[in-house]
Amino acid sequence: MNLSGILVVVPPARVEDATRALNVLPGVEVHHVEPATGRIVVVQEAETVEGEVAALCRIKALPGVMLAEMVYHVFDETPPERDAIPAEMAES
Amino acid sequence: MELSRRTFLKSGVAAATAISVGIPISRIAAVAAAETEQDWRWDKGVCRFCGVGCGIMIATQDGKIVATKGDPDAPVNRGLNCVKGYFNGKILYGKDRLTQPLMRMTDGRFDKKGKFTPVTWDQAFDEMAIQFKKAYEEKGPTGIGVIGSGQWLIQEGYAMTKLMKAGFRSNNIDPNARNCMASAVAAFMQVFGIDEPPGNYDDIEYTDTAVAWGANMAEAHPVLWQRVIDRRLSHPEMKVVNITTFRNMTSEGSDLEIIIKPNTDTALLNYLAREIIQRDAVNQAFVDAHCVFCAGPTDIGYGMRATDKFAFEAEKDIQAREVEVTLTRDEAIGLGLDPEQVHTIAQSNTATAGKHWLVGFDDFKTGVEPYTLDFVAELAKGDSEESLDAFKAKLVRLADLYADPKRKLVSFWTMGFNQHVRGTWVNEQIYSVHLLLGKIAEPGNSPFSLTGQPSACGTAREVGTFSHRLPADMVVNIPKHRDITEQTWKLPPKTLNPKPGSHITKIMRDLEDGSISWIWVQVNNPFQHVANANHWLKAAREQDNFIVVSDAYPSISAKVADLILPVAMIFEKWGGYGNAERRTQVWREQVPPPGDARSDLWQILEFSKRLTLAEVWKEQAIPGLEDEGFEEGKLPDVMSAAQEMGYRPEMTLYEALFETPENKAFAWPDPVAKGHDNHTVKHLGVDWFVEKALFEEYAAFGRGHHHDLAPFDVYYQDDVRGLRWPVVDGKETPWRFNAKYDPYVKNGEIEFYGGAMKELVTGNLTGPTTQEKTKFPGKAKIFFRPYAAPVESPDGNYDLWLCTGRLLEHWHTGTMTRRVPELHRAMPAAVLDMNEKDAEERGLKSQDAVWIESRRGKIKAVIETTGRNRPPRGYSFMAFFDESVFVNKLCIDATCPISKEEDFKKTAIKIYKV
Repeated sequence: MNLSGILVVVPPARVEDATRALNVLPGVEVHHVEPATGRIVVVQEAETVEGEVAALCRIKALPGVMLAEMVYHVFDETPPERDAIPAEMAES
Repeated sequence: MELSRRTFLKSGVAAATAISVGIPISRIAAVAAAETEQDWRWDKGVCRFCGVGCGIMIATQDGKIVATKGDPDAPVNRGLNCVKGYFNGKILYGKDRLTQPLMRMTDGRFDKKGKFTPVTWDQAFDEMAIQFKKAYEEKGPTGIGVIGSGQWLIQEGYAMTKLMKAGFRSNNIDPNARNCMASAVAAFMQVFGIDEPPGNYDDIEYTDTAVAWGANMAEAHPVLWQRVIDRRLSHPEMKVVNITTFRNMTSEGSDLEIIIKPNTDTALLNYLAREIIQRDAVNQAFVDAHCVFCAGPTDIGYGMRATDKFAFEAEKDIQAREVEVTLTRDEAIGLGLDPEQVHTIAQSNTATAGKHWLVGFDDFKTGVEPYTLDFVAELAKGDSEESLDAFKAKLVRLADLYADPKRKLVSFWTMGFNQHVRGTWVNEQIYSVHLLLGKIAEPGNSPFSLTGQPSACGTAREVGTFSHRLPADMVVNIPKHRDITEQTWKLPPKTLNPKPGSHITKIMRDLEDGSISWIWVQVNNPFQHVANANHWLKAAREQDNFIVVSDAYPSISAKVADLILPVAMIFEKWGGYGNAERRTQVWREQVPPPGDARSDLWQILEFSKRLTLAEVWKEQAIPGLEDEGFEEGKLPDVMSAAQEMGYRPEMTLYEALFETPENKAFAWPDPVAKGHDNHTVKHLGVDWFVEKALFEEYAAFGRGHHHDLAPFDVYYQDDVRGLRWPVVDGKETPWRFNAKYDPYVKNGEIEFYGGAMKELVTGNLTGPTTQEKTKFPGKAKIFFRPYAAPVESPDGNYDLWLCTGRLLEHWHTGTMTRRVPELHRAMPAAVLDMNEKDAEERGLKSQDAVWIESRRGKIKAVIETTGRNRPPRGYSFMAFFDESVFVNKLCIDATCPISKEEDFKKTAIKIYKV
């Protein structure tokens, strides 16, 4: 499971619309809003990194979004068991 | 994870994010953040990917990274990260991490045709030393090589340079930065006499204009691009221009997009220079006080082999251009020649491509005179569907922006300029434009070379890990520089080899033709990233060469190796990087490496124990060595002089070069560690602080010589987020060459004090006319360089351009980013972006599988006509991260003849349905 804190910036006049649009996206929750500057903090949850990246792209594509970048990442996983020789090396 | 914990964790993440970017939050939220992090240990670090050098904070718990965040105190990124920032914590934990040395063996012995078998470190180093001595005894110092990296830590690059140059007396060490930055470096040296930019990233917040030349910043340098976009939003005057060969993400944030044909940037810059003169916009006082004008030879070839002995049959027609070139019509015009005549030019200056001489302003003016709006617009227009008038209007608009004396302007560039058969020229030309205008070395006015790797500057360039370089901008072929280095390293005189070694492409060619037979690769993947790969794969696997690869994952280079040494990655070791704005940044070891993986530094030091001084400091044959004070073709025996200095023949290189009394004085443990571990020291079994000792030994080269670094401990202070060198009296230098900011400026307000190549003969555009040399200390050079066509262009058979490059989510050859399995699935195979109409014309549509074929090989891929990169007609683009779509099998290994950097941007291909 991957959790990311993402900063989204929109024009102050569009903060309400953007907040609504963000909350509708799967795995996205709006947590903090600073209306005067148009800054919004969302938390994105995804099963995979792929999901995280795709979600960030969706946020960037929302109307009015001027900036959406990751700030904070939490990794909640157990390191994998590894073989002495990775499978693809055994064939080389 | 149970719901309540997850909800709580999310509140904590949100609160911590808000705090990072300075959004006020409630006391309850702050408590949530604090509680989430209560058992974590936070420490500062630097992103391991591109050259921007973003600060990140790393949280660890129980020997594992549990969180990372953009460092709010880092002036580079101010709390933000791009997607790649994410990988810093992820890349350590891939399932296929290499954790044990692996050697090709059959029946318990090394066998080049054998299978990879786990071995101990002793077995690995034993075989590595046997094979090293075999090559070294037979071929001497030029028979071995090291391919290093712009991702090497400062200390790793320094240790390997010292081992190779002082120990093995070999200059065959070159970093992958050769193929990333070398053209930028060559131009810095030629123009300023000193490497690295005058300005810094803060120029963005002072400027009115940002022009990206051959730099898709939105994908390759997103955090910096964000600063450009912020400036555009907050400063109404701000204009952004994207000059590119195809529409890309950077176009989205730009006011003006100019799509040009490959290599016509050289013509476009001459148009700008001509316009500046025609409009009377030359900053005459600045030019008179601080500049000279220069020209050089144009018959310099393309950095290919001069023989076609090793070429595939299909390569031979292009190969022949290394010897003789018939100018195109546009080249003739650009050189002021009659375009109706045939001009066949022998390439006589391939070995002296960088030489140059002084000319007058009138010569410069004559040189740029042919570059009229009409000529350049016809030549450079890259999108056949754009009207010539519309394109001309854009060029005029661009000239308006540059020539406006009130407008501050930053030019950014990366691989479009650097990976270019005239890469050094085009770098020089952008400086020419800025120098003519005096728009340089002050806040907001800055020609700025972006870098692609985290320590291309800090290690490859500043430490001097290139085949011709020594630390602090010194070079092996200047006697005084060798003397200084020998004294600093306490070597007997004439230990260092004065003959520059093989650059990275030449190391590959040397493997192919048998002049090198042992190489060691660290922190990069050259068998994937060097162009024309089919040749080098064969040299590695089918010829009697021994290939050692230190790697973290099963890269292509690891797979073609004979011996793989598993490495510790980024936060599993102590280290430091230097970013593109001269900022040196460091971190502590945060977590232990897995299994038997060890730092590259530990590997270098352990291997140096396997050789004695008697084996290396004896007389050595160096084919082709001709240098004053040296017998032809030989390095002298320096052992007896060494013995007088207290060295003994049986001393190991480790004892002689690394475990010196001075270095042993840096004790481990050290309070600067604050309880962090050091596996390198632990496994060496020593009580001295290796990374600190080597940093301080290296820093001695630059202190007092324009490259001052602060003391090691200063960089570890809690309130320091890197410092931009030169750091003099504890103060960093934001803008160089400007007396307001740079303590090295001694004469006047502006002084280009770099000392290299500041004495030249005088001539005209065609050559020198005097023997007498003129000195011009403190000045920068304005070069005239003509338009030159690419070495190969599409024709009736290979009828499309292919350009290669990077994507946002994947970095370089993907060795690390592809290991995040989910991400690999997201972009499982690199696609070929091409124009929809070009596809239709070939009976193809988006998502069709095709063969892509060049003179050098063919690969299979899927085409994409609606992706984020939109090539114009006749042009295609593919990223190089994906080893399963091995694009460098197609690319030509031509280089800029001055910088020896390959041109990955211009290969002619054809495509057809599978």
